[in-house]
Amino acid sequence: MRLMRDMVDAFRIALYAMRANKARGTLTTLGIIIGIVAVILTMTAANGLQNTFRQSFSSVGADVIYVSRMPWVIQGDFFLYRNRPQIDLKQADELESRLRGRGIVNPTMDTARDVKYRSETLSGLRIIGTTDKQSMVSSAQPETGRFLTEFDVTYKKNVCVIGTDVRDGLFGSANPLNKSIHIGRARFRVIGVMEKQGGSFLGGPNFDRQIYIPITSYVKAYGGHRGRQGVDVAVKAPSREALEELEFEVMGEMRKIRKLRPAEDDNFSINKLDTLVGAFNNVMGVVLLVGLLVTSISLFVGGVGVMNIMFVSVTERTREIGIRKSIGAKPRSILFQFLFESASICLLGGVIGILVASILTAVINKVLMPASVSFPILFIAVVVSIAVGVVAGLVPAFRGSRLNPIEALRYE
Amino acid sequence: MAHTNGGTIQPETSSALALRDVVKTYDMGTVQVQALRGVSLDIARNEYVSIMGPSGSGKSTLMHVIGCLDVPTSGTYTLEGQMVAEMSENQLAEIRNEQIGFVFQTFNLIPRVSIYQNVELPLVYAGVSRGERRRRTTAAIERVGLADRIKHKPNELSGGQRQRVAIARALVCNPSIILADEPTGNLDSKTGAEIMNILDGLHADGQTIILVTHEDYIAKHALRTVRLMDGMIESDLEAVVS
Repeated sequence: MRLMRDMVDAFRIALYAMRANKARGTLTTLGIIIGIVAVILTMTAANGLQNTFRQSFSSVGADVIYVSRMPWVIQGDFFLYRNRPQIDLKQADELESRLRGRGIVNPTMDTARDVKYRSETLSGLRIIGTTDKQSMVSSAQPETGRFLTEFDVTYKKNVCVIGTDVRDGLFGSANPLNKSIHIGRARFRVIGVMEKQGGSFLGGPNFDRQIYIPITSYVKAYGGHRGRQGVDVAVKAPSREALEELEFEVMGEMRKIRKLRPAEDDNFSINKLDTLVGAFNNVMGVVLLVGLLVTSISLFVGGVGVMNIMFVSVTERTREIGIRKSIGAKPRSILFQFLFESASICLLGGVIGILVASILTAVINKVLMPASVSFPILFIAVVVSIAVGVVAGLVPAFRGSRLNPIEALRYE
Repeated sequence: MAHTNGGTIQPETSSALALRDVVKTYDMGTVQVQALRGVSLDIARNEYVSIMGPSGSGKSTLMHVIGCLDVPTSGTYTLEGQMVAEMSENQLAEIRNEQIGFVFQTFNLIPRVSIYQNVELPLVYAGVSRGERRRRTTAAIERVGLADRIKHKPNELSGGQRQRVAIARALVCNPSIILADEPTGNLDSKTGAEIMNILDGLHADGQTIILVTHEDYIAKHALRTVRLMDGMIESDLEAVVS
């Protein structure tokens, strides 16, 4: 209780002193402002990257596994994977019949092609040959028109479903439905537009810049048969919980299809969102750690600035300390006074830093990626700035509190 | 019952402070300087004492000891029945806060903060509640006649006014003694006289006052004059009250 009251009074005294030394306080605060802005932006950026990542891959689905020739995240020697045989459509069909409905199987093939409509050309779009089951495997649904049907796939129809960026690029505001576009050399009729799925993740796939066509038409148009181009097979589990069991079953069935002997390694890979998320989180963890390390150096420099100014403040107010002691200030009161003063400077810097960082975050949010300053980050920023203040003020404040009152009173 | 407590003179308890054989030695590296060489002094409540002496006589040291800014090397010092010599730094701070009101030659107000906050500060350190602080601070400032300057800062006041603020600050905790060290040293004679009037008035109200000075005409305000020479009391005279 007594300590509490001491602290409240010390804070009051510190506020007087702060107000009295506005210019110097502001300049010193600058170091803390910069440090706090750097720390907040690092954390916000990491957060934003994670959000972007999640958003970009939201359509991938957490209950889907992907059987591919290559793993998504290659660990170790790339050459171990290079000589694996492609997965072809026949194997995909075999997998589907062997699973007997335990998962929805959807083979896809993809390539990059220029796409033309009248005078508009978009180059290097991702063209995906898929089946009607695509809309069951992925959460993305058509926004207008319809998705591919079994009929389209069976009869190798030249129809396509385009992403929103493709529509905007080729048609602008015009209605794209039933328009004919050139994908590479083949002509396809637009039957639907997929809903928007969020932009690309730092050079990763942009799901809004792709076109779905029936996989049969794909093979016909771009010649992906006879193992010349591999197939990726998506298998959707009935639920998230069933995913792990399904993964084992798929692995077993694939080994039978591939006629692998028990001692042989898998010559295919089973990928899922978790693998990607895990790898991403590992990278982000390191990036965040390094980022915080670097930015905390700027905060440290800011703290040194505060410590320096607190030494000046204590020396400059030696006489004041003498006066305060002569009228009954205990060493503890003097210690608290200067600790609060330095904590207040840093808290002020922290609050201003939060404001500046919020503005910068709003700008980043507009031009770079979805980012927002979250409450835990603000809380950390406030705590860190107070802690920097207390640590920076400790030695000067202690020195001030130990001054001999008689000598302090004589100080000119 | 009542008349025994109120009426009779009780030397032991009515004494505000008592010094016995106080020695203060400063260790200046190789040499030891004896600033006080066995000073014994009793000052009763409501006494008005001046301490005089040339520079180097030890009067500053004596004032520091009486003001509990310093403790004697040997000897005892009793202030309001409390043994000061063995006190810790925190206890000394409390004693200074509760028992001593300092008035310095150079006023020693805290710049940058208002008159009100200067006078209030001892109460802050005493842990007095907010409302009580306001009441006592205002009363002390009114007592020295500066009620209209309450929001001003020290550098907006004249020397005499600053010294009056210092007196208000010395008064605000109802100390046992007011210790005035050359209170008129930085003032012209007219304002000096005003300050002395205030001190005389406080004495008339029952306040114990110790005045450190080297001016005879200032010392004459006091009713008793202690002269120091070379760290010892040279003379201790009651003034002839006319």
